[in-house]
Amino acid sequence: MGLLAAGIGAGIVALGAGIGIGMIGKAATESIARQPEAAGDIRGAMILTAAFIEGVALLGAVICILLALQIGS
Amino acid sequence: MIQTLRRLFLTFLFISVSTSSTFAESDKAEEPILDVMGTVADHDYFLFSSLTLPRFILLENADGETSFEVFKSTHSAAESGLFEEVNHALVPTNGGRIVIDFSITSHLMFFWMGMGLALLFTITMAGRYKKGIGKDVEPKGWLQNIFEILFLFIRDDVSRANIDDKKADKYMPYLFTMFMGIAFMNLFGLLPWAATATADLTVTATLAVITFFVTQFSGTKDYWGHVFWFPGVPGWVRLILTPVEVLGLFTKPFALAIRLFANMLSGKIMIIAILGLIFIFADLFGEIGGYGISLVSVSLTVALYALKVFVGLLQAYIFTLLSAVFIGMAAEDHHHGEEHYNAEHAA
Repeated sequence: MGLLAAGIGAGIVALGAGIGIGMIGKAATESIARQPEAAGDIRGAMILTAAFIEGVALLGAVICILLALQIGS
Repeated sequence: MIQTLRRLFLTFLFISVSTSSTFAESDKAEEPILDVMGTVADHDYFLFSSLTLPRFILLENADGETSFEVFKSTHSAAESGLFEEVNHALVPTNGGRIVIDFSITSHLMFFWMGMGLALLFTITMAGRYKKGIGKDVEPKGWLQNIFEILFLFIRDDVSRANIDDKKADKYMPYLFTMFMGIAFMNLFGLLPWAATATADLTVTATLAVITFFVTQFSGTKDYWGHVFWFPGVPGWVRLILTPVEVLGLFTKPFALAIRLFANMLSGKIMIIAILGLIFIFADLFGEIGGYGISLVSVSLTVALYALKVFVGLLQAYIFTLLSAVFIGMAAEDHHHGEEHYNAEHAA
């Protein structure tokens, strides 16, 4: 049961993080195309925001590992 | 909420410290082909299993007396009669209990090595600049050029971009130490027989706690005002906002620690899992299957290694960048501008 939960949870985590980072990438490439001279600043902001999303996603991933290894049960 | 977080945190600590023993216990019935968590867990030896590290243990015996025990290795601790060795972990005999385990572990050794290399690198370069190389004439040698690129990158794009200009250079030593230390620790993990110190939550949590204290001690009056008495909202909203803001103080370094830890750990697990496919296929389809999949596995691992070099440097950068952002948020003096803005819009 824990393994099932971990598998489904990892999938949802990947889905959420994928959507989030994809939207950041979309917005960043669009704004770089519109204003190529600001590419450096936009890239910095992109990495920062992606890091925030990644943090939340990894929190979910770690909980999935905990479920899979049955720690705390 | 805080209790839940603390419980989660303790569970993470538990997984990062004692995974090898938990994993071994749950799989007693069937021996696993590959002990993934045991490979990434902390060890009591350095590089090779013959180079054992000393153990320092604060022990409380059954009568409640505490004593500080020093052993050359885990093995000699077991031989002394005070402990038994169970699944690589020490369990005290005669009803005693380990109060604090101060033992030096492989992750601690690599933490020291990473920070030591950062120190050595920076001090050597500082000596060169004092002599005038790089100040009066251009920097000489590839090492100094790399140093200057990294230093200017952290100063201009991380420190000065996120912290008030007047205060930015004050935090530069801290940020650069963090960047170099974490980068060295991450890259050490790529060497054979070495361990990634940052793939251990105790290490990343220590780094994040330092950032937490630096942030709080650089907080201005304005910053604390925003935490405890958010300006410009009705009184009852503050009842909700204050707990959220106070919680936010702790979740920031918490996320910082988890991010670095999970990134480095997942990289290691991924490589072990892909190489482990060789053994799983060899077990399922015989020797031919093992050789066949090894072509795929090894080439994938080479690509993953290249990715890990990039991720290691990127995570060091992100840790430093977020530290700078948090410090910048705390050290910012924006009250005057905001009052001005409010007054303008109210009129």
